Amino acid sequence: MSDREGTLTAVKPASLKEAREAVLDTAGRISIAGAGTAADWAGRLGHVDAVLDTTGLSGVITHNPGDMTVSVHAGTPLRALQEELAKHGQHLSFDAARVADGATVGGLVATADAGPSALVHGTLRDLVIGATTLLSDGAVVRSGGHVIKNVAGFDLAKLLHGSYGTLGVLVEVVLRLHPVPKAIGTVVVECDLAEAARLAGEVLASQLEPTAVEWLSSGRLLVRIDSTEEALPARLDRLTRLLGDAATVADGDGTAVWAEHAALTRGEKGAAVLRIGVRPSLLPGVLEGLPAAAVTAGLGTGVATVSLPGTAVAEAHAAVHAAGGTSVLRSRPADLDAPAWGPPPSALAVHKAVKQRFDPDGRFGPGRFDPWEIS
Amino acid sequence: MALDPVARAAIVAALGPDDVVDDPVQTRAYECDGLTGYRVRPEIVLIPRDAEAVARAVKACHRNGVPFVARGAGTGLSGGALPVADGVVISLARLKRVLEVDPVNRRAVVEPGVTNLEITAAAAAHGLYYAPDPSSQQVCTIGGNVAENSGGAHCLKYGFTTNHVLAMEVVLPDGELVTLGGDSAEQLGPDLRGVFLGSEGTLGITTKITVRLLRTPETVRTLLADFPSVAEAGEVVSDIVAAGIVPAAVEMMDTLAIEAAEEAVHAGYTVGVPAALVVELDGPIEQCDAEFAQVKEICDAHGCTRLHIAGSPEERAAIWRGRKAAFAAVGRISPDYFVQDGVVPRTRLAEVLGRIADMGDEAGLRVANVFHAGDGNLHPLVLYSAAAGETERAEELSGAIAELCVELGGSLSGEHGIGTDKACSMPKMYGEEDLAVMKRVRDAFDPEGLCNPGKVLPTPRLCGERPGKYRPHPLEESGVIERL
Ligand SMILES: Cc1cc2nc3c(=O)[nH]c(=O)nc-3n(C[C@H](O)[C@H](O)[C@H](O)COP(=O)(O)OP(=O)(O)OC[C@H]3O[C@@H](n4cnc5c(N)ncnc54)[C@H](O)[C@@H]3O)c2cc1C
Repeated sequence: MSDREGTLTAVKPASLKEAREAVLDTAGRISIAGAGTAADWAGRLGHVDAVLDTTGLSGVITHNPGDMTVSVHAGTPLRALQEELAKHGQHLSFDAARVADGATVGGLVATADAGPSALVHGTLRDLVIGATTLLSDGAVVRSGGHVIKNVAGFDLAKLLHGSYGTLGVLVEVVLRLHPVPKAIGTVVVECDLAEAARLAGEVLASQLEPTAVEWLSSGRLLVRIDSTEEALPARLDRLTRLLGDAATVADGDGTAVWAEHAALTRGEKGAAVLRIGVRPSLLPGVLEGLPAAAVTAGLGTGVATVSLPGTAVAEAHAAVHAAGGTSVLRSRPADLDAPAWGPPPSALAVHKAVKQRFDPDGRFGPGRFDPWEIS
Repeated sequence: MALDPVARAAIVAALGPDDVVDDPVQTRAYECDGLTGYRVRPEIVLIPRDAEAVARAVKACHRNGVPFVARGAGTGLSGGALPVADGVVISLARLKRVLEVDPVNRRAVVEPGVTNLEITAAAAAHGLYYAPDPSSQQVCTIGGNVAENSGGAHCLKYGFTTNHVLAMEVVLPDGELVTLGGDSAEQLGPDLRGVFLGSEGTLGITTKITVRLLRTPETVRTLLADFPSVAEAGEVVSDIVAAGIVPAAVEMMDTLAIEAAEEAVHAGYTVGVPAALVVELDGPIEQCDAEFAQVKEICDAHGCTRLHIAGSPEERAAIWRGRKAAFAAVGRISPDYFVQDGVVPRTRLAEVLGRIADMGDEAGLRVANVFHAGDGNLHPLVLYSAAAGETERAEELSGAIAELCVELGGSLSGEHGIGTDKACSMPKMYGEEDLAVMKRVRDAFDPEGLCNPGKVLPTPRLCGERPGKYRPHPLEESGVIERL
């Protein structure tokens, strides 16, 4: 993390006030850290003088069940928040694998992570309705609000989504909630990717409204239905018929098969984990061309997570880019020297200008967007 | 008005004279948007034919320091497309091609001048539709929708424009053509697409948009229910939410709004009832039916005096016709009216409606209410007579209602935007530092401040200097939040 480990300052503020003081009192560059579940994702962190640990900023601020909104301190583990919300039959419709590992709300936003149900509910950018953010010069900004419908002012939370700790410290986040589905079912088909893509096409063209459609490199297609109890059997029945003789309903609500999905998404030990997004119809072709081991492929979203040999990363970026898609490196062996990103977006100049206005001295998250040089 | 002749010549040359309108009679059509109280006659209007021409026009403006304002259909209700003095208007009316409908990937690529409803029309043959449905969807453009992050009745379940746009091609304020967003939800760095959506034309001009399309639902069930009071109707909405049901739409109308709508379109609403709800559910048949039965029970439990279930697509269309006509229909019961657009947390609906009624009584003016009850987005219609000299009072009442929404923990605007109209009210909702950081975003995209200047963020010129150095966030002042 630092080439002068001994002098690295660690601060763990427990309030916005303390966080602001920490940022103002610390000289030099700062790494913003949550639970550490994605500490090595994206560009490798350059030299920093201090680590700002956000996990002291924890807990629910306000939850209005009737409004289906909640505001939380950004260092709150999402898992803990979900437990709290479940008492009211509500949840954040978000199921990235690392939630189970203790990832914080702020960290999940900053890394633009998402799980299978993004097919219907979108990513966190679609679920965050307000935020309080601390900038490196001590400015504290609130944007959005506590209501799900709101078009007043610029939506700054969007800028923090995918910022990987380079623009500001998320301090508070306001989220839109949904009711916990009363019954969940998953249909499984053992098949290869090509067959899975064909079946996914049929499911997505139907009116069965799946919440997630994912293929796993263990050779399974998973299709999840969120439903009411009365309706679930009939909906699963129709889905099973559509998917053909090889389709079976997973035990219970499918917890076991989805746990397998989460494990594959975390990636294989020692491999480089690449996150890919392309037009859904191009995904199978792109994946066939990669020397990928563990794979989860969202056939409706076009988003896949693959484990590759470290030496294949640069070429994989190029292949995804050639298909019009985007890719970013997640976990990787500590000694791997591979580019975290493919070619930069066309709006690179705007990214640089935003960074310049938000963090003019480049204090937050140096290196995260290397090789583009915007952080 | 004085657009520098050299600058003017350069801008005209960028497009060619055929695509420039400067006849004063014709430019008059561009002097305001749907908020007709604000008018500025533009000296010239540019009507480019493609994205490259938009880029050339913007480049010429940029080089010559001339401010420019993009314009779609001009249906905006906050003065967002109001021209600026000494500037030009760039109309996107000729960029109206549907470039691609991709049924496999459930998306379409369109130019910004395509209307909202034309997208659904182009997708319908594939069993797909574009979900966000502003009431103005027959005429408003997708470019305007992107700028305003427009919503509609069905956004409660399906989300707003921002949730349905994957990518945009944008001409930046310096004339560079870039793409924001991409082919999937994965992002390369901070979500610039997200911050551009809803920026009201102040960060650049959209020239191409990739939208998500949804599969049309298998079933739709719609009911119209009358209630003895607005409070009871509000309870019904709460109970639907508490039951874990996410309706496609929940709309409420009060006596005045019902009366006006019924007079205008005879859609079968009950004149004289205090409140009516339109509730719509959609989805797979088994689930939709089960939840619809529950909704009916909830209505009965709250003293519903009449429950009308649409028995055919025609009956459903009639219910929606009544709801959608309500705005314009108040013109039948009042010579003039202001449309307000504020949001409160849904659980405070009854409270805010009570206070609006009191405020109306105090001002001696009638207020009709028709609104998106599911997400707390109010559209109070303040009725007045300009001839009777009530304009100023009505304007004050309307503004006070928007600010009341903020006081109750809501927002100044749910869908119509800040534009020119509410820029000076922004300090009611955000603190000085919040607005200063929003300005940093604006400056990052548009350092010269040429792209739709004077909109969204308050300026001293527009709103007067505010005294003192630091102005706290309004919620801070009220003790709801602590800053430090
Ligand atoms: C009767 C009526 C009902 C309405 N109902 C609704 C409703 O239900 N929900 C809702 O959300 N709104 C509603 N509106 C408001 C309005 O229709 C929307 O704001 C709509 O999105 C505006 O689209 P437009 O094409 O008319 O844009 P315009 O009014 O022309 O412009 C609006 C803003 O967008 C900018 N703009 C336009 N095109 C571009 C572009 N290509 N690139 C960059 N900026 C651009 C303009 O500069 C301006 O700031 C209603 C309006 C009316 C008159």
